[in-house]
Amino acid sequence: MLPVRCFSCGKVVSNVWEEYKQRVAEGEDPAAVLDDLGVVRYCCRRMILSHVELVDTLAPYQ
Amino acid sequence: MTMEVDILELSERSAKFILSNASAAFANGVRRASLSDVPTLAIDDVNIYNNTSVLFDEQLALRLGLIPLTTDIEEFVPVEECTCGGAECPACKVSLTLSAEGPRMVYSGDLVSSDERVQAADQNVPIIDLKEGQKVVLEAIAHMNYGHKHAKWQAGVACGYKNMPIVTFENCDECGACVNECPKNIIHIGPNGAEISGDDILKCILCKLCASVCEIDAVTVSEDEKSFIFTMESDGSYTVQQLIINAGTTIKEKASRLGEILESL
Repeated sequence: MLPVRCFSCGKVVSNVWEEYKQRVAEGEDPAAVLDDLGVVRYCCRRMILSHVELVDTLAPYQ
Repeated sequence: MTMEVDILELSERSAKFILSNASAAFANGVRRASLSDVPTLAIDDVNIYNNTSVLFDEQLALRLGLIPLTTDIEEFVPVEECTCGGAECPACKVSLTLSAEGPRMVYSGDLVSSDERVQAADQNVPIIDLKEGQKVVLEAIAHMNYGHKHAKWQAGVACGYKNMPIVTFENCDECGACVNECPKNIIHIGPNGAEISGDDILKCILCKLCASVCEIDAVTVSEDEKSFIFTMESDGSYTVQQLIINAGTTIKEKASRLGEILESL
């Protein structure tokens, strides 16, 4: 799960994750999507750009 | 000279304004107050009745805590300052419940609050992705507290300021080196040599590359020590306007408390 807030500035970033993931999968440029979603500072952008989704990987081992 | 505020942008969640004729100490006071001294509500106690999701109880509680809740500063007080004396009455505590069964994504909007004024500020913050057969049942208790105690009670996000930049060009020979060097592309060649027009000066980041690249030292970069360009954002617990007002009020209250102490000596 993407952390709820940006570690550095505290902005809530997790609410843009699903739209970001979907739009990037459809072939849009990640930088343009982040600008459009209002994630402008590089601290918040790295939260999303460097995120690895692990929920699906872990789910079978509960 | 009286303090002046010139608002450049103001929306529900973010603001940009110029504070002039004020000291750096005062500007910093406003910045610090909005980050750490404006109390907000956040979940800080969670009773978990059932959690078979992929997240541990602690991780789930952390995610819940970081969700901003809409707060009315008039209606709630921090537990330590409440007249109930720590017994946790409705003026210092709000309970929210969450009960969900997979397969589905659980969002902050699924939190059911016991007080309709207190809701998640963003309804679409994912809390946990529940798979088939996984369940989460919990009661979360929100308390009012200050940003200096934990970042989840921090109402202001990325509050900061810079001094108003002053860039002057004298005896410019129009070589264009500074125009190419400026990372913000705000310098252009005008009728009397290089210049920065209108509000473009607000974009200057005071990097001084234009001054260092100029071979005839025609460019000087300095800052106005009495004028500040503020940017402020709210996490959603208050509008940014209320946030700034509340920050001002806390500074005023602290100053008057100091005055009272000094008078009683």
